[in-house]
Amino acid sequence: MGDLLGLVLKRLGLGLVTLLVVSILIFFAVELLPGDTAQQILGQGATEETVRALREQLGLDRPMVVRYLDWLSGAIFFDFGVSAISGDPVTASIGPRFANTLFLACYAAVIAVPIAIFLGVLVALFRNTVFDRVANVLTLTSISSPEFFLGYILILYLAVKTSLFPAISSLSEGMTFGELLHRTFLPALTLVLVVTAHMMRMTRAAIINLLSSPYIEMARLKGMPPFKVIVRHALPNAWAPIINVVALNLAYLITGVVLVEVVFVYPGVGQLLVDAVSKRDFPVVQACCLIFAATFILLNLAADVGTILTNPRLRHPK
Amino acid sequence: MSFVLGYYVALIAGSTFAAYTGRRTVFLMLFSLTLASFIVGIIGGEGALRFIATAAGLLALAAAVSYCFREFLVAVTKPSLSKELKTAPLTAAFGMFVIFTYAIAGIFAPWIAPYGESEVITQAFAPRDENLLLGADQLGRDIFSRIIFGARNSVGLALLATTLAFLIGAFAGLMAAVKGGWFDNLMGRTADVIMSVPSLIFALLMLSIFGTALWVIVIIVAVIYSPRVFRLTRAVAGNIVVMDYIEAAKLRGEGDWHLIRKEILPNSTAPLIAEFGLEFCFVFLLIAGLSFLGLGIQPPTADWGSMVRENATLISFGDITPLIPAGAIALLTVAVNFVVDWMLFRSSGLKEV
Repeated sequence: MGDLLGLVLKRLGLGLVTLLVVSILIFFAVELLPGDTAQQILGQGATEETVRALREQLGLDRPMVVRYLDWLSGAIFFDFGVSAISGDPVTASIGPRFANTLFLACYAAVIAVPIAIFLGVLVALFRNTVFDRVANVLTLTSISSPEFFLGYILILYLAVKTSLFPAISSLSEGMTFGELLHRTFLPALTLVLVVTAHMMRMTRAAIINLLSSPYIEMARLKGMPPFKVIVRHALPNAWAPIINVVALNLAYLITGVVLVEVVFVYPGVGQLLVDAVSKRDFPVVQACCLIFAATFILLNLAADVGTILTNPRLRHPK
Repeated sequence: MSFVLGYYVALIAGSTFAAYTGRRTVFLMLFSLTLASFIVGIIGGEGALRFIATAAGLLALAAAVSYCFREFLVAVTKPSLSKELKTAPLTAAFGMFVIFTYAIAGIFAPWIAPYGESEVITQAFAPRDENLLLGADQLGRDIFSRIIFGARNSVGLALLATTLAFLIGAFAGLMAAVKGGWFDNLMGRTADVIMSVPSLIFALLMLSIFGTALWVIVIIVAVIYSPRVFRLTRAVAGNIVVMDYIEAAKLRGEGDWHLIRKEILPNSTAPLIAEFGLEFCFVFLLIAGLSFLGLGIQPPTADWGSMVRENATLISFGDITPLIPAGAIALLTVAVNFVVDWMLFRSSGLKEV
């Protein structure tokens, strides 16, 4: 057991270091720019004294490394400083939006994961049949389409032509949960389509890989019924790749969510990031990037840890 | 009514013929379509059946075109290559045909497009007629011409970025494999860090800092996607570096550059070409996404991603025009993926059972 714990801890440590390096990258990339937040808030017309005063007030006159450590320790407690455009605390605008984005991603994941794994296993079992070929072409098409293409097709057919669902997912206070699900159905469906395709292909590859291993062949040769082969022999070993696939695709959702939020005007972090980038509001950009990167790294970490934990060879060392 | 009758007669005749000639899969497909059509016909009426017929017709047309294109390629290429092409599935042939069409559109854009790229010819959102095949956009420019020019701009930029990513990644990977030691480690860790940030987020961060000039986009996208190439090249070259003939070349006193160019590269082209295709898809989608967000290729340059964004309001009037550039992006990516799928399958030597 100590061996296993050591492996997991080592992986966790590596993830933490990566996150640290990424935070350094995000912070210092912005520092390369001429001018700073104080100048940006006050604009071109500000005098030297006012800029200096604001700089002192925001603590921008301290050395870079001190400011980095300050920013990082703030970020750990979700304090990302103030916006360069409005001067409001960044956390106030990110907080509720982050919850929205998380809700959308979870909504999509709850639908996509069971469907994708079920279909992926099915496709792997019927490999090289017409069913498999058709599924291959369909999933490839879905992966290759940009998210906004799928999104607008759904808007056209499910919102404009039939008005089953609203085209714009505006959220308001006091909505019932059912109403919320209905309003956010189209963005969630777009994500589901893309992620399901990815996950199906990866599940198929993992299962096929597994089914070609000698012990499956042995089970088949001794006359075991196919269903039993899958449940007794393949599935216990398939958990590791499947957990890996799920976590990797949840990480993929993080990127997909940005485009989908813009298409459906959904009030999430992705939309905020895009707005901040076009306004060059760097504290907000830094905060959003750090949040996205941290989630991405965390999910990748979960994938690796899951693989380690479900590996029977590591769980029961000789 | 006669359409519905003809529809079922054609399907049943087709399945009977397939059953008679002993083509099991074709029969199963046609007859299950017939059965499904009963249900769809009852629910959706004639319109739904017409939709199925149109879709089937389009599919058949695509298959026929791919078949002809494959035969054409087999006929015009050298024997060694045509033998390979004969084994290509129809999807791969379709992919090659689409890539060919896009290349023609991109190269000969000024001759094909009836109007200039940013030429304002009529009022905003003018409907389609004989002169304006797809109508006009929000500034009164011909959408058809802009799509043709977009083939040149969007695809060209993506190709440029992919090539650069490939040069950086492959060079670093080969050097890492040959040199080993600290250089290898440093490169590996750098790749890990770049890959640990989602590509779109990384691109947005960098673009917000360095602005959206074309060369900036190319370099940023190339840097973001080079680690993928690096890892693959490193893995492929790592297997080659331990071969005896590399040892022999080293003992002959050949330099690193010679090793890379004459010994390693010729033996690792197949996986690298397939990776180039995949990489192109990623880069193309990323740039399209950035342009859609208004942070990629800037107006008035015609570009598919930004065209979708500019005309998105038309969607709410039930007009499919904004979907055409988006569909053009999807079609090319699908086509490249089809070809890459076949290449990977071929180079893996039928590994799947």
